[in-house]
Amino acid sequence: MNKLFTFLIILLLIFSMTAVAGGQKEAKEAEKAGYEYLKWYGDGSVDIITFEDQEVIHLTRKQLGTMFGEGKKPFAGKRIAITVNNSGPKGGISGPMYRLRPAWEELSGAKLDIVEIPLAEQLQKTINDLRLGGGQFDGFIEGAWYMGEYITPGFIVPIDKYIADKGFPYWDPNWLPPSLKNIYTWGDKWYATLNDSDGQALYWRNDILTDKDWQQKYKAETGKDMPYPIKTWQNVLDIAAFFNGKNWDNNDPDPDSGIVMHFKVNEQGMFHFMSLSAPYVVMGGDTVDRGTNNYWFDPVTMEPLINQPGHVRALEVLYELSQYGPPAQAAWDLGTAWDWFLRGKAIFVFSWGDVGSLVQDTSRSKIKGKMGASIIPGSYEVYDMNNNRWVKLDKPNIVGNTTGGSWQGIISSKAENPEVVYSFYAFMATEPVSLWNVNRGWTGVDPGVEIHFLPPRGTAKLQGFLDAGWNESDLKFYLDAYYANFFADVMMPYLRINGAEEYWRALDQNLSETMIGRLKPKAALDRTAKEWEEITDRRGREAQLKQYQQSVGYKK
Amino acid sequence: MLKDTKIKWMFLLPAALWVLGFTLFPLFYGVRLSLFNVKIGGIDEFVGLANFIHFFKDFRARYSVIITLIFVISGVFIQMVLGLSYAILFNRPMPARGLLRTIVTMPLFATPIAVGFLFFTIFYEEGGLINGIINLKIPWLSNPYWALSSIIIVDIWQWTPFCFLIFLAALQGIPDDFYEAAALETSKARQVFFYISFPILQPTIVLVLLLRITEAFKVFDIPFTLTTGGPGMATQVLSMYAYRVGMRFFNFGYSSAISILLFIVVMIFIMTMFKRIRQTYQ
Repeated sequence: MNKLFTFLIILLLIFSMTAVAGGQKEAKEAEKAGYEYLKWYGDGSVDIITFEDQEVIHLTRKQLGTMFGEGKKPFAGKRIAITVNNSGPKGGISGPMYRLRPAWEELSGAKLDIVEIPLAEQLQKTINDLRLGGGQFDGFIEGAWYMGEYITPGFIVPIDKYIADKGFPYWDPNWLPPSLKNIYTWGDKWYATLNDSDGQALYWRNDILTDKDWQQKYKAETGKDMPYPIKTWQNVLDIAAFFNGKNWDNNDPDPDSGIVMHFKVNEQGMFHFMSLSAPYVVMGGDTVDRGTNNYWFDPVTMEPLINQPGHVRALEVLYELSQYGPPAQAAWDLGTAWDWFLRGKAIFVFSWGDVGSLVQDTSRSKIKGKMGASIIPGSYEVYDMNNNRWVKLDKPNIVGNTTGGSWQGIISSKAENPEVVYSFYAFMATEPVSLWNVNRGWTGVDPGVEIHFLPPRGTAKLQGFLDAGWNESDLKFYLDAYYANFFADVMMPYLRINGAEEYWRALDQNLSETMIGRLKPKAALDRTAKEWEEITDRRGREAQLKQYQQSVGYKK
Repeated sequence: MLKDTKIKWMFLLPAALWVLGFTLFPLFYGVRLSLFNVKIGGIDEFVGLANFIHFFKDFRARYSVIITLIFVISGVFIQMVLGLSYAILFNRPMPARGLLRTIVTMPLFATPIAVGFLFFTIFYEEGGLINGIINLKIPWLSNPYWALSSIIIVDIWQWTPFCFLIFLAALQGIPDDFYEAAALETSKARQVFFYISFPILQPTIVLVLLLRITEAFKVFDIPFTLTTGGPGMATQVLSMYAYRVGMRFFNFGYSSAISILLFIVVMIFIMTMFKRIRQTYQ
């Protein structure tokens, strides 16, 4: 008994010591390895050395801001806590924070606690902290769709005064195209600093679609030329139907798929529908009204538009497309679907920028150098919700999207040191740090702004991407696709009003019911519209309408 | 004497505070919430019984009730039968009995969240453990009926050892004299079980049934990690629905109403069972 007791005590002590040591791990590792996180130059510029990888990021004096300098440490003794998705020290979005924390701590003198929270609990934990008065978190790296939840009650603070202050590290809001600016701001105020740019693009196996043999086989089987380059969703359907079930990839003896998607309920399946449906629904124009630059609700009555004929047609296409993918995808999450594409098992996937960079990672991907990408395809018909009729077009209706989180840093109104939080966000938004993130796609930070694109569209350097392991052909497709997406003439409006999560979850469950054959597309979207009405009524129609009008820029 | 009484109360105080703070207060607060439309950042609005009435109109809630009942009835029934069978089997002399008992008991000590993730890989449809071995593509998680079966299988895997342990303890508590006396009357094992073991085990069976049913009604972790309630609504049990409504959509009033209704159903069930037990043994 005594032995057991002694053993337990020793175990407890070891555990406690490990926990304490964990907090000082980064500093000790650097000390052991004989490197520092900052290297100063005579002109006031500095090399930032990343944690563990020891990669060097050079910041000029101007980029660093006047408050930081050798030995300055303006926030010495202060401590901040910032929440982020629980992807770990080497995962998307949270990874760069761990990599750059030691350098920022040396610059500022402050301490940063990175608090990882699972995606499913983000909103709940944040709102609890903000509403119930805990105030234990100073900032949050949040998905843009939560913005409405925070704005109305005044839970987060605008950052315009900090942006204007030359003391902080330099980033320029004008780098962002209007599509992204729209989700980093509310009204005419900035609430978030540049970080991630989420939008979905279409990816395909370029080696297969450009292969002469496969093109001939396609013509022999269908009697038509393979529709390449791809312009519309009908093209995607035709190609996916042809390749599905054929063993077109030599990686294994099993048949491969035409496309792969992820429809695991309560995850991110509804984003597929949003991106795909936009060309059937969103009509461009100079105004915002029911049928122009609009998607979700009637901006006058708050009537849900999700069951309009354009949306229904899109869901029919999505359902048909799902038949050309692995049946198991009805229960797959995002990562599982990506892996299917990376293993060379699907011709198409349409997803976020992460796919392009994951393709370059040969420990996961068998298709490096074989990838094609473009903006989400269009449709020759779009439903005019103003006049309740289908409009036929001479060229496809192409609509860009900011689907996803565009994970961005916001500051709690309860933060005791908001300027310290902003200084960290601004440091992460500087051109060299932002480019370092985008060059290495594992960071989860996807390209979307001027500084991320190659000349003449932007100021990034090809070598930076090549040094990070990119295949040049893949890169060209990738950057072209994302430039076309974020700088598109017509953009899909983003839903970020109060309860966006709840509206989306209702849609997500009904989509899942469709994918498993329990609901027809029309019935699924009718049910969604009914549930959305209930949500709007419960949350207060007037308040919801006002927020929706603000968020889409509707003017009477 | 007066001093003694005060000391008694002092000893009772921690327990009383515990019950007040962690049982009664949350319960009453939950009842209060269920009567309001709770608005984050705004003023709560009294809605009377509207949340309870909404429950009976809400198709998602109704569906969750059906799923929960299927899960509870089928899962607990199979666990009881299997647990009792194991107990009878491992109550007999056999080689390495201690080791086998330990192995059978192990799932009980696994964390439900970890179990969910473990079975996610086992049920993976494209080359997962089971489909890989049997070389079939059973849609364990992507078909609504198979998905429900999957979470029931996992629950059975985890909780059968609990039934087994208690039944085994009860079987070992039956004096050998009973069996020796029975051996004079019959040599059939089945008769010995039904006329000796089973009647003596009955109170234990009812106890295990009660414990398992109350636990099974509250199931959350396994569907949460294995299927996240899907596909569609196929595995969205009631506690998971209450969680989503409350913690993801911040409809705390309705979420509390669901939880209270679940509490009432379980209470009615337990009280009915206890009443039956009392009637039987009186």
